[in-house]
Amino acid sequence: MSLRVLNPNAEVLNKSAALHMNINAAKGLHDVLKTNLGPKGTIKMLVGGAGDIKLTKDGNTLLKEMQIQNPTAIMIARTAVAQDDASGDGTTSTVIFIGELMKQSERYIDEGMHPRVLVDGFDIAKRATLQFLEKFKTPVVMGDEPDKEILKMVARTTVRTKLYESLADQLTDIIVNAVLCIRKPEEAIDLFMVEIMHMRHKFDVDTRLVEGLVLDHGSRHPDMKRRAENCYILTCNVSLEYEKSEVNSGFFYSNAEQREAMVAAERRQVDEKVKKIIELKKKVCDGSDSNFVVINQKGIDPPSLDMLAREGIIALRRAKRRNMERLVLACGGEAVNSVDDLTPECLGWAGLVYEHVLGEEKYTFIENVKNPFSCTILIKGPNDHTIAQIKDAIRDGLRAVKNTLEDESVVLGAGAFEVAARQYLMNEVKKTVQGRAQLGVEAFANALLVVPKTLAENSGLDTQDVIIALTGEHDKGNIVGLSLNTGEPVDPAMEGIFDNYSVKRQIINSGPVIVSQLLVVDEVIRAGRNMRKPT
Amino acid sequence: MKEIVTIQVGDFANFVGSHFWNFQDELLGLAGDPSADSVFKNQDLNMDVLYRSGETQQGILTYTPRLVSINLRGSLGSMSSRGTLYTEIAHTKPDVVTWTGKVSTQASEPYKKNLFLRRLYEEEENLNMVNEIHDSNNGSQSAYQDKDIIECLENGVQCWTDYSKVHYHPRSLYELNGVWANVEEFDNYGIGRDSLAAQGEEISDRLRFFVEECDHIQGFQFVVDDSGGFSAVAAEFLENIVDEYTNIPVLLYAVQGSGSRPNLQSKKHTILGDLHDAVSFSRLSSYCKLIVPVGLPSLSESKASRFLHIVDEKHYHSSAVYAAALHSISLPFRMVPNGPTADACSVSGAVDVHEVVQMLSGQGRQNMVSVLDVAMPAPALTGGQNELSLLENMQPLTPQIAEDVEDMQAIEHMTVHGALASEGHRASVGEVKDTVDAAFRCANTRPMFCHLSVALCPLPIPLPFPLIFGNHVGQHGELMGGQITNSSPKGSLDIHSIPMAARLRSSSVVLPFLESKLRNLNRFGIARGAAGAEILRSWGFGREELVEMEEMLSKMVVALRPPHLSSDSD
Ligand SMILES: Nc1ncnc2c1ncn2[C@@H]1O[C@H](COP(=O)(O)OP(=O)(O)OP(=O)(O)O)[C@@H](O)[C@H]1O
Ligand SMILES: [Mg+2]
Repeated sequence: MSLRVLNPNAEVLNKSAALHMNINAAKGLHDVLKTNLGPKGTIKMLVGGAGDIKLTKDGNTLLKEMQIQNPTAIMIARTAVAQDDASGDGTTSTVIFIGELMKQSERYIDEGMHPRVLVDGFDIAKRATLQFLEKFKTPVVMGDEPDKEILKMVARTTVRTKLYESLADQLTDIIVNAVLCIRKPEEAIDLFMVEIMHMRHKFDVDTRLVEGLVLDHGSRHPDMKRRAENCYILTCNVSLEYEKSEVNSGFFYSNAEQREAMVAAERRQVDEKVKKIIELKKKVCDGSDSNFVVINQKGIDPPSLDMLAREGIIALRRAKRRNMERLVLACGGEAVNSVDDLTPECLGWAGLVYEHVLGEEKYTFIENVKNPFSCTILIKGPNDHTIAQIKDAIRDGLRAVKNTLEDESVVLGAGAFEVAARQYLMNEVKKTVQGRAQLGVEAFANALLVVPKTLAENSGLDTQDVIIALTGEHDKGNIVGLSLNTGEPVDPAMEGIFDNYSVKRQIINSGPVIVSQLLVVDEVIRAGRNMRKPT
Repeated sequence: MKEIVTIQVGDFANFVGSHFWNFQDELLGLAGDPSADSVFKNQDLNMDVLYRSGETQQGILTYTPRLVSINLRGSLGSMSSRGTLYTEIAHTKPDVVTWTGKVSTQASEPYKKNLFLRRLYEEEENLNMVNEIHDSNNGSQSAYQDKDIIECLENGVQCWTDYSKVHYHPRSLYELNGVWANVEEFDNYGIGRDSLAAQGEEISDRLRFFVEECDHIQGFQFVVDDSGGFSAVAAEFLENIVDEYTNIPVLLYAVQGSGSRPNLQSKKHTILGDLHDAVSFSRLSSYCKLIVPVGLPSLSESKASRFLHIVDEKHYHSSAVYAAALHSISLPFRMVPNGPTADACSVSGAVDVHEVVQMLSGQGRQNMVSVLDVAMPAPALTGGQNELSLLENMQPLTPQIAEDVEDMQAIEHMTVHGALASEGHRASVGEVKDTVDAAFRCANTRPMFCHLSVALCPLPIPLPFPLIFGNHVGQHGELMGGQITNSSPKGSLDIHSIPMAARLRSSSVVLPFLESKLRNLNRFGIARGAAGAEILRSWGFGREELVEMEEMLSKMVVALRPPHLSSDSD
């Protein structure tokens, strides 16, 4: 009640109106996202008022592009985005599952049921479904030699929901190889060690895996080589530019000579650092045909560049922090923070370093490295929105492979899990529940079907036929999913349609949480402007 | 050459930035215009400090601001976030090359370009064909009269892009997405927290692009709209910057429009606003060496707008004044230092960002908060008898400043440019220096140290500048005496340029500002039963963090308090 006092302008809605507002918001979001789902979904091209284009088939990206104003819709969107942050996939499923749970609830509530009771039923159903998932999942062994086929199938399933088939298939191998490249025994997979770089290219859509690193900048000296073989790589974080020290601000010097002497002394200090690098270069390169490349996280000013260029050294400045780590993983050696104790052991190695220029954009390729633990996926696309969409798809694929390696299990897709879980809830769980909470279990079970139903709808199939066929097979003990091409039940394993275990688990987990919050409301404050539809 | 990279975060910051870059664009234009006043020809200002040269994929050369500007999704109006120069050629029919299934297109209603932007666009088109025509007199062909354009801006500016005449680089304008709040709702520190999360890396990459190409960067000019959620965005961004570019100084302007928070009227909202200001100030100041709060609650009623007609509700108005001051302060950063012997020199007193930051905040009391003062327009050096002198005309744009406080330890950095000696005659650099020296000598309060920079070149008034000059201001910014019958405010059609003076001042006059932040943080956030404790928790601040902020603020306060008062407890 105190709320009313705080904001006199806000209108306080009564219970039932508040509930229906929440239900409508959830339905609204559901309607916007449902056409996204699956390999037969619709891609959306969003054209902004100034002509900016965004292309997306991803729930997460679409939500972020939308101007959502309804507070309930925002809550749901945040849940879905959190889903993506945590597991990298399943945002569309999350939103439509939430929407469907709300729709199912509406029916029962309209018939006079108390939301609390429904929520109790959801709770039971959720726990049962999670237990069922443990039994249902397909374990895969991911030892030292992971099963590449299964990894490819998982990646392909995901990427084919974002890109057309042959483009998706080309990416699948790249994605799997990229993750296997950076995987280290006994260590968590750090996907940041896969760099994703792009170039704009007039007509092509092309993607390749560079075993090594591609940097989005080049050397800044006209005399430095644009291509070099057999390169020692020095990865460092050392300022090679003249910087004024704290005290050396012009004003505190009484005369010009004093000031100049100070400047000269500081310049000498920078030169000394450069000389140490040159020394090391001479030590390792003299008398051989090897080259020397410096990649520095800090700046390198023109006098320093001059000195390095004179010695035939290639130098790049202001490298991304993350690339310091990647470089060492790709080329070996170590990243040094000081040039004081440089040894040849600090150096990495690459067979080939070359520069590629496109207008004002420069790229440096560091390739032919030995035994890399970091790599780059290079995307070429005709425009920014195409590149951005491919990048999103690659990220999804990378996450799917990583999840599989870490979950050591996968889940049959194409609606198979949802139908199986629904039958389990209806046939086994419901009868064990006392009283009206049963209806909550039932509502939950039916809400699960939103996934196969939407997949069918997006493929132009009759949803009722499909559900009857699928549940029928399941009751006969056949675990089947939906073939989107024929509309018939198929074995997803035969088709290679696998989803991530952790993604599924999170959808089941987070959906009911937010739905419970939205159902058990007493009053909602609404300020007039928040009442607009979520689109 | 020592480059500056500018960063603008938030709505009002970009309003200020838009004017700022319009001034630069105007200077560039005038320097190349044969019919322009000769004072603009050889400015001895190196614009490369603020601008970068580039090339499109089609090989067209470009010259664009070294700028990263952060906006909410949807706040760029009719300007594409890719800017206008590097447009893809086949812009007409975008094909979806990644999906063979169904495509649905959702196009927003295209923004209508206002008269000004349509004119810009037209001129550009003409320029592309002009080489054959070679008739300098066809400027008036345009369907729109300048008068109409100015009127349309005066009444219709909604976003900062509405009056921008500058070409931006495609990596400059960044839109935050997934915030799910419009500009009015994005009004406190809490709501802005974590909104950088997923995009932080992308923004850092944008910045890196501009920094990497600098041979020897002198500093960042960082302008943040600290009236709401953007404070948090900026604080996070600053944290990255300090981490990545440790030795590059940041000159931070925290700007607010007048009446920035129209919807904060109730008591609870006042507390929210006060807490926001306190938290925002302490977060921002912890990531820089010099912070300059800018933005009066009512600029129109302030002494700073003595010769101006400001409508407080119009961000378009107030931001023009702040931008002019920022421009003046930034001039010495790009003065081309020439030997003392060069006669007819047009600049004097070059400094770089590092030196200014050091000078104001690095010595003595280590006061990191500076006050911004301005004289707009600056009066003639030999003003009439009852005219105020230049120094007396300097008025603060920083809020909550003590007046008539004598601070013997004050340190100042002042820029005077385009000053007139007497009506109609431009003062030489030497004359300005002598006059200021003389003024200091006979002033009764005097700072401990004042650094003076002087340039001949006045502030040019570009066409899209608002109608904010009072009728005492003449064509060249001269102040005309006598009674002039009231007429409507003047703008760029009547006034071509104005002399300016602006100053950064490290002084104890800023004490009330600091004390109010400290008091509010304590009273509403930390004290037992504080009314805003819950708000701060919901913004994600733990008690320890708050106490740390309090300590930092109180240190700032203590350092500035006169010795006999510093034993007072709060
Ligand atoms: N070839 C296929 N046939 C049938 N169903 C498929 C096929 N490939 C994927 N699916 C199903 O599509 C669903 C995933 O669709 P999609 O990737 O579009 O949405 P999401 O993962 O929920 O959300 P998003 O990817 O937008 O974050 C899963 O249920 C999956 O089993
Ligand atoms: Mg998916």
